[in-house]
Amino acid sequence: MSGEDCESFDRGDADGQKPDKMFTLKKWNAVAMWSWDVECDTCAICRVQVMDACLRCQGESKKDSYGKQDCVVVWGECNHSFHFCCMSLWVKQNNRCPLCQQEWSIQRMGK
Amino acid sequence: MMSLKPRNVDFQETWANLKETVAGVVALRAVERAVWNTRFSDVYALCVAHPEPLADRLYDETKNFLEEHVGGLLQRVKGSSVLESSDYNDGLLTRYVTAWHEFSQGVAYLNSLYSYLNLQHVKRQKVSDAEIIYGSAATVSCPEHDTRQLEVGELGLLTWERVLVRPLSGALSSRLVAALSAARDSAPDPAAADALRSAVHSAVHVQAFRVRAPLSLYQQLVLEPFLAAATTYHSRRAARLLAEGDVSHFMKHVLDGLEREVSLAQRFLHSSSLESVRACYERACVAAHLPALHADVERLLREASAGGGAARRDDLRRMYALLRPLGGPALRPLVDAAHQQAVRDGLALLDAEHPRDEAHAHFVQAMLSLHSKYSALYGDVFGGAQAFVGALDKACSAVVNRRRAGEACARAPELVARYCDALLRRRAADADADDKLAAAIVVFKYVDDKDVFQKHYARALARRLIHQLSASMEQEEAMINRLKAACGYEFTNKLHRMFTDVAVSADLNAKFQQYLRDNNLSTNTGFFIQVLQAGAWPLGGAMAPLAPPAQLERPARLFEAFYRASFSGRRLAWLHHLCTGELRTRYTARVYHVSASTPQCALLLLFEEADELSAREARDALQLAGEAWARHVRPLLDAGLLTGDADGTLRLNLAFSCKRTRLRLTCAAAPPGQGGGSGSGSASGGSESTHCDDDRKMYLQAALVRIMKQRKVLRHTELIQEVVSQARGSFAPSVAMIKKCIEALIDKQYLERAPGTLDTYSYLA
Ligand SMILES: [Zn+2]
Ligand SMILES: [Zn+2]
Ligand SMILES: [Zn+2]
Repeated sequence: MSGEDCESFDRGDADGQKPDKMFTLKKWNAVAMWSWDVECDTCAICRVQVMDACLRCQGESKKDSYGKQDCVVVWGECNHSFHFCCMSLWVKQNNRCPLCQQEWSIQRMGK
Repeated sequence: MMSLKPRNVDFQETWANLKETVAGVVALRAVERAVWNTRFSDVYALCVAHPEPLADRLYDETKNFLEEHVGGLLQRVKGSSVLESSDYNDGLLTRYVTAWHEFSQGVAYLNSLYSYLNLQHVKRQKVSDAEIIYGSAATVSCPEHDTRQLEVGELGLLTWERVLVRPLSGALSSRLVAALSAARDSAPDPAAADALRSAVHSAVHVQAFRVRAPLSLYQQLVLEPFLAAATTYHSRRAARLLAEGDVSHFMKHVLDGLEREVSLAQRFLHSSSLESVRACYERACVAAHLPALHADVERLLREASAGGGAARRDDLRRMYALLRPLGGPALRPLVDAAHQQAVRDGLALLDAEHPRDEAHAHFVQAMLSLHSKYSALYGDVFGGAQAFVGALDKACSAVVNRRRAGEACARAPELVARYCDALLRRRAADADADDKLAAAIVVFKYVDDKDVFQKHYARALARRLIHQLSASMEQEEAMINRLKAACGYEFTNKLHRMFTDVAVSADLNAKFQQYLRDNNLSTNTGFFIQVLQAGAWPLGGAMAPLAPPAQLERPARLFEAFYRASFSGRRLAWLHHLCTGELRTRYTARVYHVSASTPQCALLLLFEEADELSAREARDALQLAGEAWARHVRPLLDAGLLTGDADGTLRLNLAFSCKRTRLRLTCAAAPPGQGGGSGSGSASGGSESTHCDDDRKMYLQAALVRIMKQRKVLRHTELIQEVVSQARGSFAPSVAMIKKCIEALIDKQYLERAPGTLDTYSYLA
């Protein structure tokens, strides 16, 4: 993507007022940030940000050298979300969403 | 020939013959083999005599004989000497040694002549050594008051001690001490030395068979009087040395004297005496003069560290050699002074003149030179002793974390992080960067607020990774691994996550390009993206709302579609302030390559439509708030690409020219903690430290959970200690903060107070 095709680049509007463009855009170095698509960025069970591993996983201090934590997020049918670890423990006691008391069933898992 | 059959024996007759041979044997006169054999059988015959064994009688007669014989030797040894004298050259010692040689050897022969008696008669009565040592033979006391019989050899030695040594003990003792003292100053001739050694060791030999206190005669006759005399002698000498010169002179001569004293002891005394001779010397020469020695410790250290040459180093080496054997209290002032010297020197190094923008390099280099200077000095003169390693560590830590009056916190965390950042950047191109980074860890280890360092480091790492400023990824990773080795996994967790994002992004770009090819799509422009995970990067702040130019809209939409298809449950946000576009000018005589932030690109691209724009118009089009607007526009004006006024009218500078053809437009760093977002305007030192506090609480809670999960039930004080020791790698937590975290975990039902107790917690699974 060296941008060799810059000469052929065209904004595609047909204004034609300016035969010569002022600038050519050669390349864009974009930076984006991803996060779990959650309504509340804190897990209501362990009160840790869902982007971080849950308190228990942090406590276990996994020795994976690349710091990957497979502590993902899970969404219920009610659209409430929690750490998957936290929810797995929670449902053993009580099969209802801790936030809305609806019966818990998994809508999707984070990936 | 010897008959083994018991028979009647005439004791008087047999003993008379035997006695004559015995007298010959103890006097070392030649005894014919045949005679020896006959007498050997006589001993046997007496022991097994019928009807009555005569062993006891033989034993008693032999004992009488020995007493008489040694009595005679006593007279020979005494000669005409005046016993009260201590003139060791009056012949008494020589006669004593001659008699001892003769008798000790003779008695050994006698012992074998009496083998049968020893073996069959005495051994049976002899209490085993083990019984004496372990006390089952409680009635056994000193063998000389014991009624039990001894082997004949032992009996001879005991007789020697009682009949000859006792009456001469004063005379022997004073002569031995005088001879030993004389040997200290000038070595005696070999014959005299041999005699002296024999006399001293005879006192050991005489009691060697004793189980209990086998050295008591030696101690009483030789060692104790010797030590008493040595104390007087050494005390006088030490006082004289101190009076006639300085401490260097004193230490040199005291150590020389110690060496002489030790070799004197090795030469003449029993090996067990070495320690007490040394201790006696040290008491008289060192312990008695500690104040004089301690008074010079500080000066010696100062001069040695100021390059005082080999002489001061020798002095310190001697000082340590003298003080070390005396232990803690004697050594303490030297250790303390070593600590203070390093602190003084370290603070002076830090305060030395240096260019203001080189503060970080100055700081790290000053600390490294302090550390290496004193590691080398103390290693050299104190042999790397633990106490001084500890003193240097304490000193380095005090200097590194020094806080000047009025400073809210130490500057070390920030300075060390800046030092690393400078080395890890591409433009540094420092061939020694790797070594320098490894060395920086030495300084880093002394930093107290490691978590603050981590924040500075993470921010700089983010900048390097996003803007691709790193000199090499291997170097980046090696440095993260060094930090991990020093502080553990948790410390570098987020750094690793950032690092991983960069690797994952490379992969993601390749997949995206493949996706484009597969679907016959094109971004129409060069495109590279980094996707960062929220939470790991210290970027924070709200995203700047921005209406990107249409040229950027297309690749963004394409990538979003691709990303949505590849993952699930994720949300993507554009960090426009971190994105850079590469533009090429077409209106200038020369072509310029301009690299600028997305808002800057968007602003420049607005001039495709107009030569002139009002600032308000442009700002509305880009949806940039006041503070962010200024930050992005200023560099364009400064570079001369735009002319006009950031608050008035902006014009594209059609006459732009510049020496360089590549321009990188930086945009002023956003206030910390906001990462160049739209600016919620609350960034200040205060929020920085609150942020740090929050992280510390998070850290403590994780540590508490970890400990309690493992221990299940723990008392309050133990739990606090554990947490403090675990946190030490990052920071020093206050007890109040730990208590708050425990309360929080009780609220979250991770812990509970154990029922019926006030100070014990238990873990709730
Ligand atoms: Zn959770
Ligand atoms: Zn987890
Ligand atoms: Zn719910």
